[in-house]
Amino acid sequence: MRGGLHLGSALATALAIVTAALVIVGLLSAESTEVAAGSDIVLQIVSITIALAVLVGIWNLISVHVGRLIRTRKGWIYSLITLLSAVAVTAVYVMDETASWTGELEGEKLSPRVFEAVQVSIESALAGLIVFFLTYAIYRLLYKRFTWTSILFMVAVAIVLLGWLPLEDDSLVDLREWLMTVPVLAGSRGLLIGIGLGTVIVGIRALTGYDRALREP
Amino acid sequence: MTLENVDLIAGWAALVLTLMIFSYVLADNFLYRIAVHILIGTAAATVAITIIEGVIIPWVNRTVVEADTDEAGAIIVGIIPLILGLLLFLKSNGLLTSIGNIGSALLIGAGVGVALVGVVSVTLFAVITEAGESVNDSNALDATILIVGTITTLLYFQYISLRSRDGMPRRPLPLQLVALVGEGFIAVTFGALYAGAILTSLTVFGGVVQDQLIFLLEQLGG
Repeated sequence: MRGGLHLGSALATALAIVTAALVIVGLLSAESTEVAAGSDIVLQIVSITIALAVLVGIWNLISVHVGRLIRTRKGWIYSLITLLSAVAVTAVYVMDETASWTGELEGEKLSPRVFEAVQVSIESALAGLIVFFLTYAIYRLLYKRFTWTSILFMVAVAIVLLGWLPLEDDSLVDLREWLMTVPVLAGSRGLLIGIGLGTVIVGIRALTGYDRALREP
Repeated sequence: MTLENVDLIAGWAALVLTLMIFSYVLADNFLYRIAVHILIGTAAATVAITIIEGVIIPWVNRTVVEADTDEAGAIIVGIIPLILGLLLFLKSNGLLTSIGNIGSALLIGAGVGVALVGVVSVTLFAVITEAGESVNDSNALDATILIVGTITTLLYFQYISLRSRDGMPRRPLPLQLVALVGEGFIAVTFGALYAGAILTSLTVFGGVVQDQLIFLLEQLGG
């Protein structure tokens, strides 16, 4: 309903305000008070709800891939691989928990090995791959946007990287140390205080019902 | 099949998957995408199993299954998140969206509460106190740079502006100068953090290559 008050949204906004107020008062109160206990229960409920929200997200992921596979849309082969991987991990876990392995594998748990071989390997490789993107991004920065700030950025990158080299002369190491403990620390503090103030403003907007997140039906 | 065979298969699988991911350096290709989708599938299953086994089942056991019959409050508290989860599920399917918002409202409300208390009591007070202490501990030049850097970086992100003659909003000149200094500090800060990210990913890359080379050499008898 455009311009009108939607009852569901009004209720949701009111609930968000009350919950936020209860949590704030509870966290700032002494541990033994009733308000603190109430706030603790709310936080426990929220933790479980977040866990369930993640499960809803995974359900959504699976249903999207099943839909793509059934309709054989573009990229269906990747959906098949995703689903097969999920099924395989679940099957190994079920076999572990029901102690279904036979022969020399009897009583063993293979889930940690699968996790190590597949997930840890791919995640480590992806993390290692970032070094190529970071280096290429610096090249692109200098090539496309040659400004005084990009030069400062590059100088800072060079000092920090060269400062780690085990050279006989310690001047670069000292320069890196100074850079990290004075200008970088000052900049980081400015950014952190800015983020903190921004969070406070967003929080106050939500507390006073100005936040739009819950207004749309 | 023996455990040694399982480890051998796992080792080869890890090597092949690593190479599939590194093939992205050449170009975006189907091997890379296959590896990424394997990761998505396995990660989704692992997270789902961990949440069900480690969070949901213990919660239901503690609050509903093992609760005494006279502990109605505990049972209600145990059921509430399950109902909220169901509402979120209905919302994700486009059903009963406005009722599903109640689950989101609780999450947002609690998130705002925790964030506000955390930011004010931990981040803001700690950073401001630390800033004051480090200024006292530094020499005059460093202390000046610390103060100027912190303040100008903070002021860079304010958007108070005046309407100029051509109707366009512009910052007042003093503020433009302050913001310029702040921009320099931000560039240096991001440069140092960027270099840190390069070093970290380089270390990870070295570790991955080393692990796979050791496995390969062991298989080749090297």
